[in-house]
Amino acid sequence: MEKCHKCGNTNTIVRRKQSGQILCQECFVESIQEKVLKDIRRQKLIEKGDKVLVALSGGKDSVMVLHILNNLRNRRIIDLVAVTIDEGISGYREEGVRIAAQNAETLGIEHRIVSFKEYVGRSLDEIMSDSNDRNACTYCGVFRRWILNKVAKEEGATKIATGHNLDDETQSILMNYLEGNIHNLTRIGIRSESKYEGFTVKIKPLREIPEKEIATYVLACGLPVHLAGCPYAGDSFRAKVGVFLKEISKEHPTIMYSTLRGFDKIKPVLKEKFSQKGSMGVCQECDEPAAGKICKACSFRLSWNQ
Amino acid sequence: MQITLIIGEDEKQVEVDEGKTVKNLLQMMEIPVETVVVKKNQSIIIEEELIEDGDIIEVIKVIYGG
Ligand SMILES: [Zn+2]
Ligand SMILES: [Zn+2]
Repeated sequence: MEKCHKCGNTNTIVRRKQSGQILCQECFVESIQEKVLKDIRRQKLIEKGDKVLVALSGGKDSVMVLHILNNLRNRRIIDLVAVTIDEGISGYREEGVRIAAQNAETLGIEHRIVSFKEYVGRSLDEIMSDSNDRNACTYCGVFRRWILNKVAKEEGATKIATGHNLDDETQSILMNYLEGNIHNLTRIGIRSESKYEGFTVKIKPLREIPEKEIATYVLACGLPVHLAGCPYAGDSFRAKVGVFLKEISKEHPTIMYSTLRGFDKIKPVLKEKFSQKGSMGVCQECDEPAAGKICKACSFRLSWNQ
Repeated sequence: MQITLIIGEDEKQVEVDEGKTVKNLLQMMEIPVETVVVKKNQSIIIEEELIEDGDIIEVIKVIYGG
């Protein structure tokens, strides 16, 4: 029986593939919490007095973000509000919304549930029943960002925290690189740097935590989480890249870290050369930031009215 | 030897050879190790752990879509 490398306990729950470290439940939970809080400090993701909006889907990643940021709230460093977006995906979303509410209630954190229906006029199911040209993730991503930004302003939030993990982030890097989407690459990072004041800064406290460690963390802590796959997810390019990265990680356990580190090194150069400066304006329809006269969300909405 | 195997809602008795690990069991069932967390007798374990007679093994799928 192998022992915890920190305390010698024989009830071990993880072997970290990237380092070979073996840990028991208590030491694992503690080390992950410390790592995330350290990343927040070192990267200056949060300042004292911030009001942080947690985009809480009820899935493992966002539930973990909520619980870890609650440490900072308990120490009166920040204020928290949890926001769950109900996209309107029948038979799937209800459970996530319920679990999200349960987590917020347990911690005594203010919780808002906002729906696609109420904010954009149609549920995702309605959008998809009327569309065959785009996949659901395109609409979902555009509207979620738009709603989060709007709600952040309504709530007076100074930061938006999301649950993006190491696997998500390396997928985004590789996907955009493979597709030659260099402009999108310049926007990947632990925090958004939108200088335009209509955007609330977004932070990713779990950016260096592998997805499986997040799952192990929430299960070890006994947190209620919604473990189910979105029915619209399907066989996307992102999913293929994700499978490839997980497969190659088996023999090269540090590959996601090196992808991330390498990217963070070249990013300043990419930004200098490729980011589109000064092109952001205000949407004529909704006053949210827009690249042209009308933002992406409004251009979708306007197309329904024709 | 016999164990109880729980995957999602599904619970069944399974025959397993002596000396097999949880990882061997997952490979036999073609479940990718990197997409699940496994509990043995209600505690999370490392997949290299040996399976013993009478164990209750619960496989929790935690990663979807890649
Ligand atoms: Zn320990
Ligand atoms: Zn707009």
